[in-house]
Amino acid sequence: MENIKILVVDDDREIAGAIEKLLALEGYHVVKAYNGFDALEALVSGDIKLILMDVMMPRLDGLSATLKIRESKNIPIIILSAKSEDSDKILGLSMGADDYITKPFNPQELIARVKSQLRRYMHLGDMESVNCSSQIVVGGLCLDTDAKQLKVDGEDVHLTAKEFQILELLMKNKGIVFSAEKIYERVWKASPYSVENTVMVHIRRIREKIEINPKEPNYLKVVWGIGYKIEKN
Amino acid sequence: MDTKLRKISTHGITKFLAFIIVVLALAALVVQIQYAEYINGNVESLIVDRYIDSEEFYYGEVTNGLYRVAKAIEEGRGEETVKLKYNPNFMYFATDGEKSFGNTSRQDRAYFEQYDEAFFYLENGIWKAGENVKLDIQSEPYYEPISNADIAYLAFTDKFINEKQIAWEESRAVLKPLVTRIAVSGILALMLIIYLIWATGRKSKNRELHLSRIDNVYSDILMVSFIPIIYAWVLVVSDFSFIRSIVSDGIGAMQAFSMVLLGGATAIASTLCGIVLLSLARKVKAGKLLKHSLIFVVLAKIYDFFKSLFDGRRFTGNSLTGSLFKRQWVFIVGSATMVFLTFMFLLVPPLFSIPPILEIMMIYWYVKGNNKTFVDINKGFDDSMGEQMKAERMKIALVTNVSHDLKTPLTSMISYVDLLSKEEDLSPVAKDYVQILSDKTTRLKNIVADLFDLAKSTSGDISMEMETLDIKKLIEQTLGDMEDEVEKAGIPIKTNLPSDPVMIYSDGKKLYRVFQNVLDNALKYSLEGSRIYLELEEDGGDVVATVKNTASYEMNFTEEEILQRFSRGDKARSSEGSGLGLSIAESFTRVCGGKFKIVVDGDLFKVKISFPLSRL
Repeated sequence: MENIKILVVDDDREIAGAIEKLLALEGYHVVKAYNGFDALEALVSGDIKLILMDVMMPRLDGLSATLKIRESKNIPIIILSAKSEDSDKILGLSMGADDYITKPFNPQELIARVKSQLRRYMHLGDMESVNCSSQIVVGGLCLDTDAKQLKVDGEDVHLTAKEFQILELLMKNKGIVFSAEKIYERVWKASPYSVENTVMVHIRRIREKIEINPKEPNYLKVVWGIGYKIEKN
Repeated sequence: MDTKLRKISTHGITKFLAFIIVVLALAALVVQIQYAEYINGNVESLIVDRYIDSEEFYYGEVTNGLYRVAKAIEEGRGEETVKLKYNPNFMYFATDGEKSFGNTSRQDRAYFEQYDEAFFYLENGIWKAGENVKLDIQSEPYYEPISNADIAYLAFTDKFINEKQIAWEESRAVLKPLVTRIAVSGILALMLIIYLIWATGRKSKNRELHLSRIDNVYSDILMVSFIPIIYAWVLVVSDFSFIRSIVSDGIGAMQAFSMVLLGGATAIASTLCGIVLLSLARKVKAGKLLKHSLIFVVLAKIYDFFKSLFDGRRFTGNSLTGSLFKRQWVFIVGSATMVFLTFMFLLVPPLFSIPPILEIMMIYWYVKGNNKTFVDINKGFDDSMGEQMKAERMKIALVTNVSHDLKTPLTSMISYVDLLSKEEDLSPVAKDYVQILSDKTTRLKNIVADLFDLAKSTSGDISMEMETLDIKKLIEQTLGDMEDEVEKAGIPIKTNLPSDPVMIYSDGKKLYRVFQNVLDNALKYSLEGSRIYLELEEDGGDVVATVKNTASYEMNFTEEEILQRFSRGDKARSSEGSGLGLSIAESFTRVCGGKFKIVVDGDLFKVKISFPLSRL
């Protein structure tokens, strides 16, 4: 893994330094840049596999840099920002970023997300092209309905039968909200009677298996007071 | 006992009965007075024992006799004979020095003086009473002129006096019970009227004053309404006076009939007067006798009108409205002057066209000036709006900047502490220190995040995703989501939720934070071995979620204090939590359109979250 280069862009040198050391401990090689322009320059020179990008920076901010990079490159970009509003996250992701981490971040979570993005990019870069009828793909999730297998960022994850069925239902209808009653009806094939807790517990289990941070899920989301869904993106 | 008495005395039936009794007593009073008139009784007989001492005797008999005798003497001067022109009730003898006359053979004073209590004599031109006469008679001639030579004696015989005395006593015997009855009726009526004035408007239920519908009539109209009532009554009374003049003594059918009529009229009049009087009494008690009168209201309206014209205190503080007000004032006074001048100039036709021209100029000046002020006012308004917007934007920018400035160094701290913890060649003591640093930075991170959430929600700069959702489902989801924490805390949550969905219009994510924080708080501060109760019920058009728990410590704070930022349930602050949980819950509930209430009852801590039900 020594050859994997990661570009860390942050105008705060200490943060950039800390991230460098955290990633170095995991065996990655880190290139640092302190603003958007430096980042674009660094990209030209080196064989960068992933970018960690701050948003509020002098000269060229992180969002504009992301847009610029996306014009030519497909490498994963993780935005690191102190802005924690949903609208900020949506804006960052719509600019072409692959993930969004809010400051202050948990170092372990940062590393896990970096690894997740790298795995998806390096080993499964051609995943989308497989397009097999038995596979449902959402982000880093790949569900094989024939083999009853789930891969998260290329790694096998074991699900129970009910968990698999719930995930299958939601992934097949991504973006659509299912109430607990509906999920129960379709998965348990029984008439639902006060099933919210049962379903919620299953959802929680699934989250723990597929999400990096189950408290802030990327895929399986609760629509409070209505139901559950798999995010479309 | 006191309250019981009060209950009875203010009861409606008591008051009604008292009113009826007053009316009857007044009617009886008038009828009895009328009866006394008919039987020709003399009220004086009640006070004066002896007829001979009475004014009745003095004015009815004595003065008449003295006058007649003196007049006969005077008229008899120069005539052949003198005599009294009628047959008197008394004995007399008179002489003018030349001729004398009398109705008794005796002419000496001593004879007349034997009736010493009813003896009168004329000497030196003045009538005087005998020594034993108790009456206080006027020492005067009674008929002018009288010469000093005139002498007259006059006496009422015992026989006459005794007859009169018997009649006098008869009259007293009849009048005494009658007057007693009249007095009793009067006192009863008076006392009950006083009682009614006291009791009117009060009800046994409470101590407030109750006004009735008639009290809506203006006070002065009520007062004036006494006049026609009393006038009508007086008309009725005076109509009966002819009966009195026809028949002098005793009670006949006419008199009986008239007494019934008079009693009826009095009853009606006193009923009407009573209603008016009690209404006035209620108004006095309510302190609005004057205020609620037509005169007062009309004067107040007129006063208000002029005040609104000329009272510029509210406007002069601001130069723009002040100038508007002054201009309006000048315009009104100027226009009034023009109207006056117009009438004046009617007498001088050539000048007639001047006021209209001046008026037109004044209107031009008025409109022009006002328009300019309006433009200025609009400008000022826009400016202040702009400044307000600017201040609002600055506040939001401040929150964002401070948040960024706090988060950036915190990121470094967390990262380097993490790196430090990964160093292998640290001493065990240093490792402990790093663990403490790690815990504290994590806590600091939570506090900053909570602080930011709270600042945003209280400043109103928060993006909302409102939708119709099922709050019952949301609570179940939250409980499912928090299952681990509940298990760890070892405090079971007992729920009582309705079976049907309860739809409200709110922001699900924020509402989840609300319930999460409230339940978190309950789990953290509940007494070991107790339970948390979560209920959801509809109350009118609202749905109320109640979270109840028994505190593990004494809650020596008020409901407001706990919601103040950073205030913690137990004053000794523990190391976890930001202390903002309930504040955030309260603030989020508010921005979501709900109400958040905390109730502390002994060791019972209650949070009530209510939302209006969605009409879907």
